[in-house]
Amino acid sequence: MAFIEIRNLKKSFHSLEVLRDINFEVNRGDVIVVIGSSGSGKSTLLRCLIDLEKIDGGTVKVDDEYLIEDGRYAHKNQVKKITAKMGMVFQSFNLFPHMTVQNNLITPYMLTTGESREEALKRSDALLAKVGLQDKKNEHPSKLSGGQKQRVAIARALMKSPEIMLFDEPTSALDPELTQEVLATIKQLAKEHMTMVIVTHEMSFAREVATKVVFMDNGSILEEGTPGEIFGSPKEARTIEFLGYSEK
Amino acid sequence: MNLEYILNAGKTILLSCGVTIRLFAIVLAVSIPLGFIFTMLAGCKVSPVRWLMKGLIYLLRGTPLMLQLLFVYFGVPNIPGLGQYFLFDRFSAACFAFILNYAAYLAEIYRGGLLAIDQGQYEAAKVLGLTRLQTMTRVIIPQMIRVALPAVGNEAVTLLKDTALGFTIGLVEITHVTKTMVNNSGNPMMYAVAAVVYLVINMLITFAFKKAEQKTSF
Repeated sequence: MAFIEIRNLKKSFHSLEVLRDINFEVNRGDVIVVIGSSGSGKSTLLRCLIDLEKIDGGTVKVDDEYLIEDGRYAHKNQVKKITAKMGMVFQSFNLFPHMTVQNNLITPYMLTTGESREEALKRSDALLAKVGLQDKKNEHPSKLSGGQKQRVAIARALMKSPEIMLFDEPTSALDPELTQEVLATIKQLAKEHMTMVIVTHEMSFAREVATKVVFMDNGSILEEGTPGEIFGSPKEARTIEFLGYSEK
Repeated sequence: MNLEYILNAGKTILLSCGVTIRLFAIVLAVSIPLGFIFTMLAGCKVSPVRWLMKGLIYLLRGTPLMLQLLFVYFGVPNIPGLGQYFLFDRFSAACFAFILNYAAYLAEIYRGGLLAIDQGQYEAAKVLGLTRLQTMTRVIIPQMIRVALPAVGNEAVTLLKDTALGFTIGLVEITHVTKTMVNNSGNPMMYAVAAVVYLVINMLITFAFKKAEQKTSF
């Protein structure tokens, strides 16, 4: 059984259809990389999954529980319970600027789980060590580079031990050097078999870590397959065109 | 006209400081949180509440504070039926009028502060599982305070000077005492003494807000 099951998902902003009849599955341990041109609906798909956008129709089932059944949302406590299984990382980091790195990790964790400060500190120390930023724990985000900020954001999202991580263009605001340090952290998670859905424009990264690549165009999933299939022998003309541009 | 006279006059003016400072402190302490309640109500999803609040803010910001003060002290008690329940003494009337007026101004300042906060902060708080209340108190308000603080400090300086409007309803504050002393002695130097008193208090206010800004910077 799939961990996340999406059936006939539809979403419009006023008269503009941004997601048309999306069908999509995520299994545990999958690293799904979603590619496609800007405005193709990739980010919106991710944001619908974690309830940052409301959908107009379709079904989303997570871990055999309905988040949305045929366009009707579950009770808000249920929605909260389901989205709590997900962690999300944004393009613009969205760290809390008035808190130190450590407080960015422990404050939300303590508020949402009711765990003790000791437990929170133990976890945050371990996660900051994992992303290589233990020495920055008492700094405010304004003192960090973009790559460091994004690694803190990843650590923050991991605090509550999510069952799936959603990455919305995590490196699009970074220069190539900083991009690599963030991608290395994500690759580390892939090695640990973290289930992930990653929206990105980093094609070589997609080729390297993805278990499945999804190509979106104009609000629809046009093609999906292994990295070998999508990058090696894409079937759709639009996919070939898109990949042709990104190879250049 | 000797130094001793001026010093004595200064002392009398300083004694009248109490009323000015009490009015200032009460208005600031109440209007700062009340202004935030105004901001929330003016952004309320329930349309009638939002319209009423926006109308009230428009009224309070669009008419002279002196007019509002005169209305509260001289006007309200004369409203048939209701007036008898709103008999304020001078000090309470001044507090009431100033608090409403300053809350309206602060509400606009806070609104600007909220607009300056990136939408991503709300989204990050949501995906981390924070409730709406936690999001406001832990994430949004601390950032809003930092953005709004310089403007709030500016309002505090203005408020101290506006307390002189209490004169129009006979409140015995610095300006009132000074005017009386000038009338009695014919010595216009008293105005300069009062000016110095205002300047010194404002220096302290400015200093306090500078400290607060440093404390909230990140």
